[in-house]
Amino acid sequence: MTPFAITVHASEAGPVLRIAGDLDFNTASGLREEVRRVPLDPGRLLILDLTDLTFCDSSGISALIAARNRAVAAGAGIALAAVPPNTARILGIVGLDKVFPIHPDAATAAKTHETP
Amino acid sequence: MDGVGRVPGTAGAGGGDASADAAFTALLEDSERELYENAPCGHLSTLMDGTVAKINQTLLGWLGLTRDQVVGRMRFSDLLTVGGRLYHETHFAPLLRMRGEISGIALELRTAHGDRLPCLVTSVIKYGGADEPLLIRTTVFDARERRAYEEELLRGRQAAERAQRDAEEAQRQAEEAQRQAEQDRSRLKEALAALQQSLLPSTLPEVPGMEAASYYHTASPDRLGGDFYDLFPLDGKRWAFFLGDVCGKGPQAAAMTSLTRYTLRAAALHDPDPAVALTTLNTVLNERYSGGDPRYCTAIFGVLEPGDDGRTVTVRLASGGHPPALVIGGGRADPVPTTGGLLVGVLPDAHFAEAATTLEPGQTLLLYTDGLTEARIGPGRERFGDDALRDFAAGLTAASAGHVVTALTGLLEGFGDGLDDDTALLALGVPGSGAATDEDTP
Repeated sequence: MTPFAITVHASEAGPVLRIAGDLDFNTASGLREEVRRVPLDPGRLLILDLTDLTFCDSSGISALIAARNRAVAAGAGIALAAVPPNTARILGIVGLDKVFPIHPDAATAAKTHETP
Repeated sequence: MDGVGRVPGTAGAGGGDASADAAFTALLEDSERELYENAPCGHLSTLMDGTVAKINQTLLGWLGLTRDQVVGRMRFSDLLTVGGRLYHETHFAPLLRMRGEISGIALELRTAHGDRLPCLVTSVIKYGGADEPLLIRTTVFDARERRAYEEELLRGRQAAERAQRDAEEAQRQAEEAQRQAEQDRSRLKEALAALQQSLLPSTLPEVPGMEAASYYHTASPDRLGGDFYDLFPLDGKRWAFFLGDVCGKGPQAAAMTSLTRYTLRAAALHDPDPAVALTTLNTVLNERYSGGDPRYCTAIFGVLEPGDDGRTVTVRLASGGHPPALVIGGGRADPVPTTGGLLVGVLPDAHFAEAATTLEPGQTLLLYTDGLTEARIGPGRERFGDDALRDFAAGLTAASAGHVVTALTGLLEGFGDGLDDDTALLALGVPGSGAATDEDTP
């Protein structure tokens, strides 16, 4: 099992949070904490890179929504990158695939972001 | 050794051998009297009334007294401490008179400086020719070293006893604290159970022409669950139901569950359209829980309406982010597609997925929360999954609501601790024609 971890790096569009492991009741607060801490200026893009995400439950979904609320409040955008199939299916069930822009990978997400 | 066997000269003579000679001379001159006076123990003799008649220098030295102060003036008991005197009068002297001798008795002498001198005392009575007691001979051993050792032992034992008492007290306190904690926990559990019960219907109502069954599993009795369901009449003909899952656990989730349940009930009575009911709930939750701690729920809301043919039941559904309901029966388990409806409470303007289906006799509509499909099973702890649930439900030979819930309850129990989330099940079935006839026929 992949241990839960979040690594932060910068892209030309904004901060990228790469989430590894299970995003669930026990780990979701870690993502919320990281999202609160990451500097985010208006017009930038917060990218959540889910390449190594192994599982996402309702608490994880809740943390994703908290990240979106943080971005909206900061006047920034948010995007998901490399969403694994099982999480993509859940996002579809809960209707969030229409709320979050979704890209095949973090680089594409950064490239498609138009800096104001 | 050189000195042995040599005949000594006069004391002090002999040059280099002077000290050896002096020792030898001293040995020869060591009279009985000298031995008595300077023996390494105290000697005294008293008359039968205890008056000291004779005492050696060693004992006088220990006491810090002169012979003149003692002989003929003091009795043996006068040399003792108050406690020693008491013990001498009550035990020592009577026993000595009775037995004629007594040995190894611990007493304390009191010196001229007021110090206590612990000692071991042995006494023997000397008898005359007609067996009449003449005098008492007493030997006194210095027991200071020994007493110190004994006191050390005693102190050690007292310390050990104190440590044991402390340990016992600590254990008692720990047990008391544990008892208190268990009491608190049991009280809290009762309160939580009562609160949990207020979030669910205590019994499902009887719906004419249908069978309803439900099941609720709490992952942890200490944590209030966030799953909910309900079934209630709308008017003389139609019934409404809902089932859902609020995000999170604990008191905040329970408060939200309560708000959700009563909002949906009130909304349904106002306008029984399923999507409208969810929209009303969405508005309430989004206003109530906007901000940095988003709270939302998934829910399926539905309305049951018996068909005009008297056999079938029409179901209209709306879903906000909830796993699709299954229609089970006849060896099949088909989802009623409601994918794409948004989680309830996330955005001010939410879209909910709507669907409708007709239940034929022998078919059951199953609503469930994701505790069922996300349970970890098998050696790899993989998730049970939607497909496995569909296969399981399709394989049920009896598909009445009661049978479906019973079979799934058995399945869930088989998951053991792999079932790590709350799970709610609500099954609404139209009894099969055969079964209905059997039941109706006396």
